[in-house]
Amino acid sequence: MSDSQLTFTLATLLGAVGVWLLLPRGTARGWAAGAVLVAIALGLGASRMLRLEDWVADGVFFILAGVTVVAAVATISFRDPVLCAIWFGLSLLGTAGLFLFAGAQFLAVATVVVYAGAILVTFLFVLMLARPKGRATWNRSSWEPVVSAATGIVMVGVLSMTISDVLALRGETGRPIVEAAETAGDRAEGVLADQHVALVGAELFGRNLVAVEVAGTLLLAALVGAAVIVARPRSEAQEPPAAD
Amino acid sequence: MLLLPITIEALIKIGLLIACLMGGTSYLVLVERWIAAWIQDRRGPCRAGIPLTKIRLWGLGQPIADGVKFIFKEEFTPAHVDKFLYFLAPVIILTAALSVFAVIPFGSVLPFDFAGVYDAVAQWAGAEPLPEYAPQPTRLVAAPGLDVGMIYVFAVGSIAVYGAILGGWSSNNKYSFFGGLRSSAQLISYELPLGLGILGVVLLSGSLRLDVIIGQQAGSGVWNVLLQPLGFLVFFVAAFAESGRLPFDLVEAEQELVAGYHTEYSGMKLMMYLVAEFLHMIAAAFLMVILFFGGWHLWGLTGSGEEVTWLEAILRIVVLLGKIMGVILFFMIARWSWPRFRFDQLMSLAWKVMLPLGLVNVVAVAAWVEYGDRLAGWVGVPETAAMAVCGWILLIACWLVVTVSIPSTYDNRPLRVPATRGGQREGAPTP
Repeated sequence: MSDSQLTFTLATLLGAVGVWLLLPRGTARGWAAGAVLVAIALGLGASRMLRLEDWVADGVFFILAGVTVVAAVATISFRDPVLCAIWFGLSLLGTAGLFLFAGAQFLAVATVVVYAGAILVTFLFVLMLARPKGRATWNRSSWEPVVSAATGIVMVGVLSMTISDVLALRGETGRPIVEAAETAGDRAEGVLADQHVALVGAELFGRNLVAVEVAGTLLLAALVGAAVIVARPRSEAQEPPAAD
Repeated sequence: MLLLPITIEALIKIGLLIACLMGGTSYLVLVERWIAAWIQDRRGPCRAGIPLTKIRLWGLGQPIADGVKFIFKEEFTPAHVDKFLYFLAPVIILTAALSVFAVIPFGSVLPFDFAGVYDAVAQWAGAEPLPEYAPQPTRLVAAPGLDVGMIYVFAVGSIAVYGAILGGWSSNNKYSFFGGLRSSAQLISYELPLGLGILGVVLLSGSLRLDVIIGQQAGSGVWNVLLQPLGFLVFFVAAFAESGRLPFDLVEAEQELVAGYHTEYSGMKLMMYLVAEFLHMIAAAFLMVILFFGGWHLWGLTGSGEEVTWLEAILRIVVLLGKIMGVILFFMIARWSWPRFRFDQLMSLAWKVMLPLGLVNVVAVAAWVEYGDRLAGWVGVPETAAMAVCGWILLIACWLVVTVSIPSTYDNRPLRVPATRGGQREGAPTP
């Protein structure tokens, strides 16, 4: 077992236990310990990935990544659903920031418009209409804390380990086989690309035309379905009040 | 290393923007009160002048007095609120309202290169000169060259909804809560026509960048409002609704909801809400002018190219701000001219009128972009003139269809007649 594999295994174990402790299990016991464990796991994972060549650019990346991951953990560990939704929103904003950082401007703003602007607002809307008041433990605890924590964290750990291993592979000349990421200059060029949206549009409506059209038709069908459900005749949808 | 001058330039622009927006907002509040007084045949604020003197100065000291009052008011936090969200909500709404201005141009270009100025100052202070670079005119946008400009405006605008929803929810008060719910429903509904109204302009100019959109209108000399009156109508109504001003202010309808989602707020937090509302209006005015009224362009006065003299550069800023002031004045006069909508009227306006009209506009513009030149060539008239004629005919046709198909009066009271004869009632309105 190599050095990096050992680190990631340790990080995965600690992270799984920490997330399990953080998940709402009907008790708040062990919450602080869970937070500490998750923080240690994150630090371990990051220690294998840190490459502070350009400290401004990498600093921005790690801040964004940290915000995203911490907000994601908070999303599943808070007990108040409204707070969970807020944390989810922060996680989405972090993701959008990462997209923007990688030069995918359109994806970044589209994430914010679609997820943070529409879907999450609908979540909040429903949560507020329902006003979850009950204090019952089965309402406020996660269903399978052990299994879900284990699967989720193991998947994240394996993925990070694989990716960092691949990035560390060296060819015969000593150069990395997979270029880790473009330099800060390339990245700035990607962020400031002049024809970014035009290129995305050409790609979407060129090579992926069929997929776009199929998705659009599917959404239209869903819309018609919703309209059919809502637009029942009035006498059927709304029983008139009893006659006086 | 051009990073430092670029950063300094951006910081200067941001500082300038925030200072002008905040100061402008406080004086626009004064203007709004003057206009309200004028319409209601009152005197309006006219007493506050230079502090500690008796000089009145037409009430120009009023915003300062208001600001001081807001700052020194007791910041009362009710005991029943959700503290965290209660503090977070005004921060979100103000941040979002200010961030919109990152991509909105507040002028055209200035005819000098900021990096050159920086270089001169740095050399005077004894630093090394900058390496060779191509000098560029200074663009008057805080974040120039963001290719997704228009969608960014949307994204940040949709974040502002959170301020209203969370403020209403965390206040733990029925009135606030209703205000928050109404706000989210209204903002989400009107985002669709807003987007459709913009889409026509984007199709025509082929870019989402606001400066490119202005440049296209300035280059052709024809403003988009002349070409796409229907798109403008849809955008105008939707922008009105998004900024939540009367007749769309159901979110904080005083007669029904006390003050809507900010009922429980006081002091500086209330001020953040009020400033954010004004900033939404200013942003809507900016977008309206930039997308449909040619931005800084005015025939025969401002020129239309990238090369400007100092006079032209300043004239462009003045023209842009003048147009924006015109739109804002319209907003303020409209406030006292139309009664507030009922909620079902608001929703049917969005979904049954504005959304179809927006779709019609998008389809029409797309068809024009594809076939317009051939049609104009076939008829034998200039393309722009043909498009303007088609646009106005489309507007009138849509207007007629809407007016004819919508009943002049309708009734939204709950049904009282009991169901008889197999569920069908006599004289029941068709759904």
